[in-house]
Amino acid sequence: MTDIRYLAPGTLDEAVNAFAAAAGAARILAGGTDLLVQMRAGVVRPGVIVDIKKIAEMTTIEETPEGGFRIGAAVSGARLAEHPRFGKAWPGVLEAVNLIGSKQVQGRASPGGNLCNASPAGDSVPAMIAAGAVVTVQGPHGRRQMPVEAVPAGPGRTNLTPGEILVSFTLPPRPAGSGDAYLRMIPRTEMDIAVVGCGVSLTLEGGKVTAARVGLGAVAPTPLLVGPAAEALIGSRLEEEALAAAAAACSAACRPIDDKRGTIAYRTKVAGVLLRRTAAIAAERAGRA
Amino acid sequence: MTSPALLLLVNGETRRVLAPGQTRLSTILRDELGLTGTKIGCDAGDCGACTVRIDGAQACACLVPVAQAAGHAVATVEGLAASPMGDALQRAFLHHGAAQCGICTPGMLMAASELLAGEARPDEAAVAAALGGVLCRCTGYRKIVEAVRDAHRFLAGGPAPVAPAAGCAVGERLARADGLAKVGGTDRFGADAAPDGALWLRAVRSPHPRARFAFGDWAPLLARHPGLVRVLTAADVPGRNGFGIYPDIKDQPVFAPGEVRYRGDCLCALVGDRAALEAIRTEELPIAWTPLAPVTLDDALGGEPVQARWPDNVLTTGRVVSGDAEAALRASRHSAAIEIETGFVEHAYIEPEAGWAQRVGDRIEVFACTQAPYMDLEEVAGVLGLPQAAVRIIPSACGGGFGGKLDVSIQPMLAIAAWLLRRPVRAVLPRGESMASSTKRHPARIAARAGCDAAGRLTGFAFEGRYETGAYASWGPTVAGRVPVHAMGPYRVPAVAARARAIFTNNPPAGAFRGFGVPQAAIAQEALWDRLADAAGLDRLEFRALNALRAGDVTATGQRLAHSVGLMACLDALRPRWRALRATAAAANALADAGGGRQRHGVGIGCMWYGIGNTGMSNPSTMRITLGPEGLVFHNGAVDIGQGSTTALLQIAADALGLPTDAFRLVLGDTDLTEDAGKTSASRQTFVSGRAAAEAGRALREAILLRANAGPEARLALRDGALLVDGRPVGLESTLEGIGRFDPPTRPLDADGQGIPYATYGFAAQLAALSVDLDLGTVHLQRIVAAHDVGRAINPTLVEGQIHGGIAQGIGLALMEEYLPGHTENLHDYLIPTIGDVPEIECLLIEAPEPLGPYGAKGIGEPALVATAPAILSAIRDATGATLTRIPALPHRILEALRR
Ligand SMILES: Cc1cc2nc3c(=O)[nH]c(=O)nc-3n(C[C@H](O)[C@H](O)[C@H](O)COP(=O)(O)OP(=O)(O)OC[C@H]3O[C@@H](n4cnc5c(N)ncnc54)[C@H](O)[C@@H]3O)c2cc1C
Ligand code: FES
Ligand code: FES
Repeated sequence: MTDIRYLAPGTLDEAVNAFAAAAGAARILAGGTDLLVQMRAGVVRPGVIVDIKKIAEMTTIEETPEGGFRIGAAVSGARLAEHPRFGKAWPGVLEAVNLIGSKQVQGRASPGGNLCNASPAGDSVPAMIAAGAVVTVQGPHGRRQMPVEAVPAGPGRTNLTPGEILVSFTLPPRPAGSGDAYLRMIPRTEMDIAVVGCGVSLTLEGGKVTAARVGLGAVAPTPLLVGPAAEALIGSRLEEEALAAAAAACSAACRPIDDKRGTIAYRTKVAGVLLRRTAAIAAERAGRA
Repeated sequence: MTSPALLLLVNGETRRVLAPGQTRLSTILRDELGLTGTKIGCDAGDCGACTVRIDGAQACACLVPVAQAAGHAVATVEGLAASPMGDALQRAFLHHGAAQCGICTPGMLMAASELLAGEARPDEAAVAAALGGVLCRCTGYRKIVEAVRDAHRFLAGGPAPVAPAAGCAVGERLARADGLAKVGGTDRFGADAAPDGALWLRAVRSPHPRARFAFGDWAPLLARHPGLVRVLTAADVPGRNGFGIYPDIKDQPVFAPGEVRYRGDCLCALVGDRAALEAIRTEELPIAWTPLAPVTLDDALGGEPVQARWPDNVLTTGRVVSGDAEAALRASRHSAAIEIETGFVEHAYIEPEAGWAQRVGDRIEVFACTQAPYMDLEEVAGVLGLPQAAVRIIPSACGGGFGGKLDVSIQPMLAIAAWLLRRPVRAVLPRGESMASSTKRHPARIAARAGCDAAGRLTGFAFEGRYETGAYASWGPTVAGRVPVHAMGPYRVPAVAARARAIFTNNPPAGAFRGFGVPQAAIAQEALWDRLADAAGLDRLEFRALNALRAGDVTATGQRLAHSVGLMACLDALRPRWRALRATAAAANALADAGGGRQRHGVGIGCMWYGIGNTGMSNPSTMRITLGPEGLVFHNGAVDIGQGSTTALLQIAADALGLPTDAFRLVLGDTDLTEDAGKTSASRQTFVSGRAAAEAGRALREAILLRANAGPEARLALRDGALLVDGRPVGLESTLEGIGRFDPPTRPLDADGQGIPYATYGFAAQLAALSVDLDLGTVHLQRIVAAHDVGRAINPTLVEGQIHGGIAQGIGLALMEEYLPGHTENLHDYLIPTIGDVPEIECLLIEAPEPLGPYGAKGIGEPALVATAPAILSAIRDATGATLTRIPALPHRILEALRR
């Protein structure tokens, strides 16, 4: 253990340089709620640890000039919850981030870590997908942006190239009449990994859906953006047929596994059930917004 | 590389530590700063035992790299009493009995202190949200919620501690006699202390369920890791390389001699300095494996033997036969049949096994968490080949046991290492190793049938149980013996044929777990009663009342129950609640039907009985009280694993003697200093050791009265170390002694299970109200009502604590807990109930006094759990019509059952 180098740079450039210099032997540390557990289990044995919690850009929440939000990748769930306006604009994203672990974990865990840990069941990811979040990444070759759903590549793997660090999430401005929600199914009431997670973001005009996005978690090797489910909702007034079609689209998108938490049949069915319930909450919020 | 210096502000003091930045804060607090009040239950963020506050916010110290804590204010349990609210919270915990074993207590206190800092009078939901990350396996959380909500009252002093006068302790809600250390974080658990210079021991365990292995050359490994002092294998065991519960079955090797029989079986141990052991990778060890096809419960009968001594893989068969059950079933007006399957259940005590051993001349001392110090003593003597007098066992504070710490774990290997190396050796099992290696609840496959007449009176009952006992015998014979006696439940059944077999497989040894197989049987038995009640057109509670055992009845083993049969009283107490809860559920269902809701409400009931103490076997206890120049000393060898025997026995002894509880000094557990009280199992300590304590108190009282030449009604008092009898001083130059011994009268069972298996039984009935989500298959518990006949509640707070904790484990058994070797060896994947999973619980204490028990008391530890799962499953069926035959009732299984 003692032969690990621990770095806590104050700027992003330093972090990128140190990360790239270590050429694969380094690990980024945000809240550490995945990394420390994996190190303890011996699954991960980094030679260098780059602690990003001292970098201002990665630990702040900003409102963008267009009216959206930029969230530093290492911001903790607890900090996000304290923001005076974020939870009003994106209640679904906030509830997803705040479902991660216990109070103790929420004080530390970050959405960046949740995304880069690349668990198929990461709770914040389907909500971010539904929100249409775009991530900014920086590496030895500069900065780039990509949609959040493009980051996970499979269980434990991302599409970040060697040396790249996830810097922030940008959420778009919210038109009037918008609402989002996230629901997950777990056997225990708290502190558990999603068996299925579903995020829905809707914009309504006069009761009619004008925009929709649906994200699903824990039903495939990566969290999914479910285009057909959104299409089934757009143009509808969330009538039974539209909800049934969207639920069916969610079930059809599932490529789950059988494991101790749930069977393939169960996950496939529950994806549809959660779509209906999540959409109802998002619509209710949109109606109020 | 030299480590950077970091400055930590701990409990207001600046501390400088040299450590790599990624070192866990928990390690720094415990190992560098000696603040062992912060506990380690999992080292993975799952249990919250390590909860501290950083800048006021709760955090798991095991998940915080120390570099991220540097410069911030860290608060631990050791500093809690310094703040008025912290002190109030600790006193509220004591008052409400919110700490049982105490291993989760520091974490609970720290999490709660954050909440109370912002909100002095939180509601229940706020408490649940704040404490959701701290697991407690003992209390069922209810008393913790009460204590946190009530803490503000203790700010200005609060209620005075209960301090009963001489002769008035029994029945009082006395705070735990060992409670201060638990709320202060100063109790010494197995991992909290060790002699200076102790080496560490790391066991090497099998990754295969069944395999042969051969060791290669250890020399290169020893050369590569200079801190590795010794490798211990089967060849190093000085005495018998085997341990086990029964004197004639020492079948589990300390170090497997060439074949491993379960994933987690121990093949050797590495001893050395801690860093060296941690640096050794499993892949480096010179072990050549030849995996073999494991024997499973599917193919064990008639398959390859797991152990040569049992060619048919049947360890033990237990039977109870009375009357002709088959004939009775054929003649029954109504009949029902069920087959159920349950899985392995992990004890999940929050304290993993830990302790140390040291050689003192020609004796060996072992300090470890245990439920059975005298059995540990025999095992250690056996593996070392030493006389028992050469062994001293000092139980550590025990952070939960529930049956899992009745078997030895690390004790034999620590003793061997310390004996051979002549140096103290310590070990702490990581959570994963604890779960892989320790015993489990027996998985059961049960087929049961029952019948009743037109009026609903039970006629016959047939039960066939296959209990998977895993790779080694452990408590398998006890389970196979106890199950058939209890299988028909606390009912009058004229004809019974019950058989239970303990069957070997290449899975973890199944041992003792709260209820010894009876909870599994109760699930089948109570499901049958629901069906028969429906068939006979009777209310489910009334069906049970019609058939309930009453004083004077004769059981299926031929035992006449003369006294203390409180089941009817339990059912009578439940009846009004049963009706009210059922009406509420019906109304909720009507509302859901009208609104297209997808929640169905239901109410269920389960009853149970439980024999206190060993089955048809002697299980004595001896207690000793002395009064002399050193004061009044209670030598109590019963291990308190959180259930409260230290306190309850003190109350009993005090009243029997006639002095107040606070006059006593306690000497606990240590086998050199106390008598054998038997093990803390089978719900026996209050009944058996309690009676012994009463006898000891009475014996000392007689000795005092004799010396003072006073009559039986004389009043005793101790003032400034002087004994007063009716106000007159009596000299205490020589020590007076009272010794009490009790062995409950039983008669061994014959081949048909006829005899007197237990001297007395606990009885209970529980109700569960819940709703089921028809689309997700999830269960939401609303309320549990538990009526328990405990004979006499020596300390109602402790009794309620046992009931709450047992119910929480029953909830886990019913709804979520299933141990899968290799897949759920952590508290992330193995789910136990959190604070949000345990609903409101109402306890109704019924006291049908047992003349043999101390002041009428029986036991409660295991009875608390048995009825819960049956009541929950009964409620699920009431809500949905679905009978779950595969337990736990996971959501996907509920949906599957709904479709059937
Ligand atoms: C008790 C417990 C309960 C949990 N419950 C949940 C839950 O309910 N739902 C859930 O989704 N998760 C859960 N988790 C997992 C974990 O808390 C989350 O995934 C969390 O969001 C991780 O964030 P972190 O900041 O702690 O990440 P870290 O552990 O610091 O990092 C996670 C991984 O991402 C990499 N990484 C982090 N930040 C970046 C970055 N900016 N750029 C590139 N790589 C980066 C790290 O190198 C590491 O591999 C739980 C964990 C624990 C211990
Ligand atoms: S020890 Fe830290 S959460 Fe369990
Ligand atoms: S008192 Fe909570 S785990 Fe024992």
